[in-house]
Amino acid sequence: MSFPTFNHSKPLNMITISDFFKPVLIVWCAITPWLNAQSPAEQEHFETHVRPILTKNCIQCHGPLKHESGLDLTTLSSMVRGGDSGSALVPGNASESMLLSAIRHESLQMPPDKKLSDAEAEQISSWIDRGAFWPQGQVLRAITELTDKDRQWWCLQPILDPVPPAVQDSKWCRNEIDRFILHRLQQEGLAPAPAASDEQLYRRVHFALTGLPPRYQRSFDSGSEDPNWYERMIDQLLTEKSYGENQARFWLDLVRYADSDGYRADALRPAAAQYRDYVVDAFNSDKPYDRFVMEQIAGDEIDPSSRQSIVATMFLRHWIYEHNQRDVEGQWQEILDDVTETTADAFLALGLKCARCHDHKYDPLLQKDFFRLQAYFAALHPREDLPVASLEERQAYLEKSAAWEVATEEIRLALYELENPTLLAKATREGFEKFIPEIKAMILKQPRDRTPHEHQIATLAQRQYDVHPDKLPEWLDKETEAKRQQLLAELAKFDELKPSPLPTQAFVATDVGPQAPPTWIVGDPEKIEVQPGPPTIIDESPTTIGATHPALQTTGRRTALAQWIVDKKNPLTARVIVNRIWEQHFGVGLAENASDFGRLGEPPTHPELLDWLASRFMEDGWSLKKLHRRILTSGTYQQSSLGAIQPATEIDPANRLLSRMNSRRLSGEEIVDSMIQASGELKTGEAKRAIYDKVMRNNLPAMVSLFDFPDRIRSVSKRHRTTTSTQALMLMNNDWVMKRARKILESLTHHDSAEFVAVAYQTLFCRDAKSDEVAAALVFMEDYMLRTPEPDLLEGPSDSTVAIEKVAAAVDPNEPIVGASGKPKSKDEKVSTENSKSNSKPLPPLSRNDQARAAFLHSLLNSNEMIYVD
Amino acid sequence: MSAFQTMVPFSSPNRALSRREMLLRGGAGFGAIALASLMDDSCLNANEVVSPSPLTARLAHHTARAKSVIFLFMEGGPSHIDTFDPKPAVQQLAGKPLPSSFARIITAMGEFDSPVLASKRKWKQHGQSGLWISDWLPNIATHADELAVIRSCWTNGINHSGGVCQMNSGSQFAGRPSLGAWVTYGLGTENENLPAFVVMQDNKSAVTNGARNWSAGFMPAVYQGTALQVEGSPFPNLSRSKNISDDQQRLELDYLKTLNVKHRESRPDNTDLEARINSFELAYQMQSNAPEAIDLSQESAQTLEMYGINKTPTAAYGRNCLMARRLVERGVRFVQCYHGAGSKWDAHSKIESNHTKMCSEMDQPVAALLTDLKQRGLLDQTLVIWGGEFGRTPQSEKGDGRDHNPTGFTMWLAGGGVRGGQTYGTTDEVGLHAVEDRLHVHDLHSTVLHLLGIDHRKLVFLHKGRPERIDQNEGKVYSKLGLPT
Repeated sequence: MSFPTFNHSKPLNMITISDFFKPVLIVWCAITPWLNAQSPAEQEHFETHVRPILTKNCIQCHGPLKHESGLDLTTLSSMVRGGDSGSALVPGNASESMLLSAIRHESLQMPPDKKLSDAEAEQISSWIDRGAFWPQGQVLRAITELTDKDRQWWCLQPILDPVPPAVQDSKWCRNEIDRFILHRLQQEGLAPAPAASDEQLYRRVHFALTGLPPRYQRSFDSGSEDPNWYERMIDQLLTEKSYGENQARFWLDLVRYADSDGYRADALRPAAAQYRDYVVDAFNSDKPYDRFVMEQIAGDEIDPSSRQSIVATMFLRHWIYEHNQRDVEGQWQEILDDVTETTADAFLALGLKCARCHDHKYDPLLQKDFFRLQAYFAALHPREDLPVASLEERQAYLEKSAAWEVATEEIRLALYELENPTLLAKATREGFEKFIPEIKAMILKQPRDRTPHEHQIATLAQRQYDVHPDKLPEWLDKETEAKRQQLLAELAKFDELKPSPLPTQAFVATDVGPQAPPTWIVGDPEKIEVQPGPPTIIDESPTTIGATHPALQTTGRRTALAQWIVDKKNPLTARVIVNRIWEQHFGVGLAENASDFGRLGEPPTHPELLDWLASRFMEDGWSLKKLHRRILTSGTYQQSSLGAIQPATEIDPANRLLSRMNSRRLSGEEIVDSMIQASGELKTGEAKRAIYDKVMRNNLPAMVSLFDFPDRIRSVSKRHRTTTSTQALMLMNNDWVMKRARKILESLTHHDSAEFVAVAYQTLFCRDAKSDEVAAALVFMEDYMLRTPEPDLLEGPSDSTVAIEKVAAAVDPNEPIVGASGKPKSKDEKVSTENSKSNSKPLPPLSRNDQARAAFLHSLLNSNEMIYVD
Repeated sequence: MSAFQTMVPFSSPNRALSRREMLLRGGAGFGAIALASLMDDSCLNANEVVSPSPLTARLAHHTARAKSVIFLFMEGGPSHIDTFDPKPAVQQLAGKPLPSSFARIITAMGEFDSPVLASKRKWKQHGQSGLWISDWLPNIATHADELAVIRSCWTNGINHSGGVCQMNSGSQFAGRPSLGAWVTYGLGTENENLPAFVVMQDNKSAVTNGARNWSAGFMPAVYQGTALQVEGSPFPNLSRSKNISDDQQRLELDYLKTLNVKHRESRPDNTDLEARINSFELAYQMQSNAPEAIDLSQESAQTLEMYGINKTPTAAYGRNCLMARRLVERGVRFVQCYHGAGSKWDAHSKIESNHTKMCSEMDQPVAALLTDLKQRGLLDQTLVIWGGEFGRTPQSEKGDGRDHNPTGFTMWLAGGGVRGGQTYGTTDEVGLHAVEDRLHVHDLHSTVLHLLGIDHRKLVFLHKGRPERIDQNEGKVYSKLGLPT
């Protein structure tokens, strides 16, 4: 056995031209194992001695999770490359190898806490001297053993149905939620805050359920007349369309919904908006959550004749997509990873992403578990033409279609051989020729000869080019074209055998066929097939997959997954969604990380309450509306958010125990919607709610984007909430906001200034102005007028008789920012929030008085009272 | 207790925060544990009331020379084989395909087997160091002794979108914060009256991926880059509406402040309200400070000439480079200047004319920037990075062009405490694969952070409960590059 002609000390840039025709060696040395030492004896020695020593003692710190001192001991090449102290290993030369001197504590002292035995060091030494055999492609992994402690992880325990605790002084409690909360507060020596005022609750609940401000009500004395006004208001708001529009927002963040591909071209996905509307409708009809989950994961399998169910599978399509990625298999793996990760995040709050590359460092999730989950999606097949039809219709269609295929097989084959070379050679857009030979071969195979995986890849590749059979008469020589016409004529004779087409749906997903391609852990040199199954810690046996109807041509894997997710015994699902809704209303979940119940987050503050809510939720038929109602009618929710007092500020500064309500800033959508509601444009239909704006990933809607709208690339469960000067600049200077102010001015025709101020407060703040507020506003407007020139002095056309001009015909605050970065969109008619463009023309002149009034309204729109909810 | 457990849960905005909590929250409601570790402990006084700005300048992990970064991004992928990495073997193999022994890679345009294209460049050694630089870059060559030329860079993205995304964020796939965002997150800014992270470009075409390249990814938007607009107001919404005078605006802002102060009176423990009041004042300041910062009329004729601002083809990028200097001078942390915005370096065909033009636009301004930084004593504290999203293949494409080459290409660093006048790493004989001292983008990012005094392993952002790093836990600092600090 000889060591290859590799000498690490030889500077590679000194290789002469005679070396040149074996340059592959250079690369190979760096990245692949020594091929010469593949003898069984070497393998045996490696497996029995070397691997266990390294795995047990070294790679915790120099392995997949940590490269301490820059050193990675999981592959031979990374050992040779070494770390901060230089190369760790010189194959064939143990005495030159720092690995050996370190474990002997002769140079470094490794491992630091314990020295390996001499026998162990000797094994390493002889292994190195004999050439350091390494199994091809092998990357060492730490071995994770799941322990009893792991199995006691809170979110894996069955969901219990605890009895609400008895509490002293239970008068405060309005429902069972309060008993859990009060019990805990009393344990800490804390007391709940007083109830918020009716006025505050009115505004709080409107935003909570609809994302819109309420209309001003003259008096809240009605509370005394109707003791149930609060509950009735909740019931009423839950029936309004705006409820679903508001709820859709958090769901679209979770499923990374967008209207474009992302990447460079960022092509529009015209059909995607159907999914958004599906989500709005699902919330409005209070679709049971278990059904909602089932449809999104497996709508094509469980209800193939329903367009709604088919549209729901767009959940499996919201991944980013690059239209010209030549590494087709690489892109497909990314897509599967994305679907896997999003599923784990959104439905299960399992931080599985870490487990894609290694066993989870903190949670009892194995790398295998990522791929067990991925295996449910192994057969995934994106479709633009998925039939929407019953099993019977599909069956009939398939049978007819098969008969036609048999009858026409020879003709079609002849046509294919005649047409296909030209079609591919002249394919447009990205073309066919640029693919690597392996991909071309998959495309060239007849679909029925492809393996399921090949079919997935070939069809993904085919999305990159267009063929043009209509141009064949120009392209083919006369003789061939004549032959082709003859074949087409023959084929047409069989047309009566053809089934009539079924209605279809674009931008959805199903399976590639009844057979799933194998899944294995990415990078596994042995490619051991991984069967679909839940995380090992929950159930280590693979899932039994029930076959689906043959007419579906699917594997049933996704249905099996969906059923496991919504099984009432699943310890995660109900807890996860209940916790998300709780987070919506209180700003933080009972378990803090709503998309990761792992150990990096805190355990829930009120585990019994979480379970109690989850149990009620399932008992209520997975009704989200009932859940909202239950939370909002609690005394806990109705507390005041003002005036944190001792000792709460000391004992529970973060208010996790909820001794008061948390106030919140509105989301970007709520800010925009509030303004167009105030201006009346929402009511008149001149403007639509922000949820209906297109989400172009490379050019996100500008206004909401400034207010922490996520990138919609990956699942997001909780938005950031930032306060920045760029937000202030937008609100101060963008004409969009001023135009809303003028629009409001248009609707307030009060001539008396004091009355104008009073109505403005009612319209924007939903309350009566206090006398000092009116006085301050009047002084401000007076001052403002003094600093405002007569309109005659303004540049441009001036008409002092025109008090208010119609402005802002179209309203779109979320026109993407153009400018240096984006492609300028020529929607000149639209009102843009982008400064240099929208402000390029001065607004129509106003009288001094109206300018002052507009400035006053502008101030109210920008004020904290407008965008914070108590 | 692990660092992660020190996180203060973000839940209630309704209270005053200690400085430590403020840092942890960064004013934004996220677990910014990195900030705590970046802080010198002596600065941490639990009772000190601070302005809750997530952009406050912070101390680094270790002493470093570089304080700011200017990233000169040659978008589209310049050919290393024709600029900084001469390959005699390419000349010898010209017209023939690569030997079959070369490890095959997927190429963007599928012409792996096309014949090798000779370089038409004349090469000379420059400076005391004798660095090889081609005749396309005569001005940059005068700074040879400043340049740390890394010939062994490699990346994964074979397309522009993935490549540009990865060079910015470490990942081919969108969603991660860009390098500028990480640096801003780690170090804050020295001047809150200007954006901390500024991006500009030489022409009006869209940069590949658009604003996503300078996005904050999963971090709060406060760390994202601000694009300087090619025309009109330098930043979006920076200038007042044409209808409104400064006097009027000031009056309105004062009135707004009285409204907000009154609103806050009954909510004293919600510091977000205070932060928002301040944000309007900061915005008002920015309106006058930002235009001043990029006002080139304040520069001497000599300076303008040095950057080539008085003539084509150098005017556009010359302006960018000069503005970059003015910005770092004023405390901006990270400036990125795209040259060839819209993949203009992408010479799939006619590389000769393409690169001749691209180099002539960029060479003088970049050289002037180095000269200018040096003469002002700023070079040592400003890290200048030059390079594209990948290099180009030795094989020809369409006869006279070169395809994308992610597996081996050149970038250089200058200033900011790097050891210049040297090459680092090598590619193989034809420049296709990096072979010695291979430096992945993750390593490059880790190294840039290191040069700024940040330990890339400690700068962590908790995202969905996961501790995220710029290098996705894979990067290694290329410590050979740095001078002792």
